[in-house]
Amino acid sequence: MTHLRVAGHVGRWTLNQLAAGARVSVLMVETMAWMVVAPMRGKGLRIKSAVESFVEFGVRSLPIVGMICFLVGVIIALQSSHTLDKWGANRFIATLVAVSALREMAPLMSAVIITGRSGSAITAEIGTMKVGEEIDALEVMGLNPVKYLVVPKFLAMLVAVPCVTVIAMFIMIFGGFFAAVFIVGVDPFVYIDETTRSLVEKDLVNGLVKSIFFGIAICWVGVYRGLQVEGGAEGVGKKTTSSVVTSIFLIIVIDLVFTVLFYFL
Amino acid sequence: MTEHREPIIVVEDLVVRYGDRTVLEGISFEVQQGEVFVILGGSGSGKTTLLRALVGLKQPASGRILIRGEDFTAMSDEQRIELRKNIGMCFQGSALLKSLSLADNVALPLREHTKLEESTIDIMTKIKLELVGLGGFEDYLPSELSGGMKKRAGIARAMAMDPEFIFYDEPSAGLDPIVAAGIDQLIRKMQSTFKLTSVVVTHEMESVKLIADRVCMMERGRVVGIGTLDDLELSEHPYIRQFFARRADDDESSESAYAKALTGLQ
Repeated sequence: MTHLRVAGHVGRWTLNQLAAGARVSVLMVETMAWMVVAPMRGKGLRIKSAVESFVEFGVRSLPIVGMICFLVGVIIALQSSHTLDKWGANRFIATLVAVSALREMAPLMSAVIITGRSGSAITAEIGTMKVGEEIDALEVMGLNPVKYLVVPKFLAMLVAVPCVTVIAMFIMIFGGFFAAVFIVGVDPFVYIDETTRSLVEKDLVNGLVKSIFFGIAICWVGVYRGLQVEGGAEGVGKKTTSSVVTSIFLIIVIDLVFTVLFYFL
Repeated sequence: MTEHREPIIVVEDLVVRYGDRTVLEGISFEVQQGEVFVILGGSGSGKTTLLRALVGLKQPASGRILIRGEDFTAMSDEQRIELRKNIGMCFQGSALLKSLSLADNVALPLREHTKLEESTIDIMTKIKLELVGLGGFEDYLPSELSGGMKKRAGIARAMAMDPEFIFYDEPSAGLDPIVAAGIDQLIRKMQSTFKLTSVVVTHEMESVKLIADRVCMMERGRVVGIGTLDDLELSEHPYIRQFFARRADDDESSESAYAKALTGLQ
């Protein structure tokens, strides 16, 4: 009997996940349709709203992203010095910092911070609008909520995350430089030389490709959780939490997938 | 005053379900052009669900909703958007977009659906706000308004596209009697000035007396009576009699059941 019950639970869980997947796919298709097809038919995009969202998601997150990435750069430099110092190879701190910043840490840190700042904000905003019947009101007025709310945010996120990531990469390398030169005592010219020598185009592409998918994940999870909200302020709180958790989980999964891909490429 | 008019909204055998639960069953009625049609019922009678189905927010399981002869439930998205330009809806909580000023809220459908000049939209917005008695409040945010003012703003927004139909969800809920009476007057004024067809969902007998041309009484997802208020007052149906007499559910049986549930005693 217990086996049956466990099987039942697993089955129901799988069905629920599939249903959720289907709903997310519908949302994706609809977003794409309103973003790509509708403008071609002269139905317009809400560019102004997209720009406002870009400023909110991207520009306003720069101070905190910059701060954190600088500190992470310092941390990577000091941690790697711990091992490299034994071999007298402190100049390779530059390589380690540069490669890990571009390929891994800058995209990841930017995405996680933007999730916390803006992924949660998207869920809270859409959730509150749903509770207040504002989404219904849009629909009754003949305004598609996906076109009106989702597409501008999606466009903004698609551009903002890679932009922030590039800046984060530079700041992280600068953090590493700062620590290596002023704390460990590496020659600044050697450090710059090592950095430029170790970086290849592929590192940058790797980081940027990841960051684009991070942006997609953050936006869609935010919107999807927002639309799931039911039952007032408590519902908004719950879904906002779960939006951040789901987003970060997805970011790590996407990170892994692309790391494996680029490892073999 | 309702005779000899064409039915403009026809609901035929409507069934609405939430999951396995049937919320509306076999609803049929007709709304005539230019009348104020009130859907009256207690909490949980399904009247709000009925309204949501009428404006297309809830897809019915079966049945038809004909608006000007066209089946609203079986339309393409394009047709539906066209029809919706002709429909205004006032939500219970007004549902104004909180991030936009009053003027922007009212202007939103105009900006999205028409190619009017911004200056024209400005003037139209002012006229609509003036109409509901909110002239001079253009730059206020919804959060800066009282409940009654929000309701009025909701009506102004519903009127933005000069619709033929207007739907009100509990227009006087949560308002004090004076403000509620003001909203009732406004509903009546909109109907008489613009020859609007209005459908009002409410449970307030006081406003029904003021606004209704005809009333549709609902109980537990079914229609139990349709007619003028006078017709319904003469009805023998026990629920209608009880509702009109404002009498609580019987009595000791339910009370003792409640006490048993509380104490667990037999």
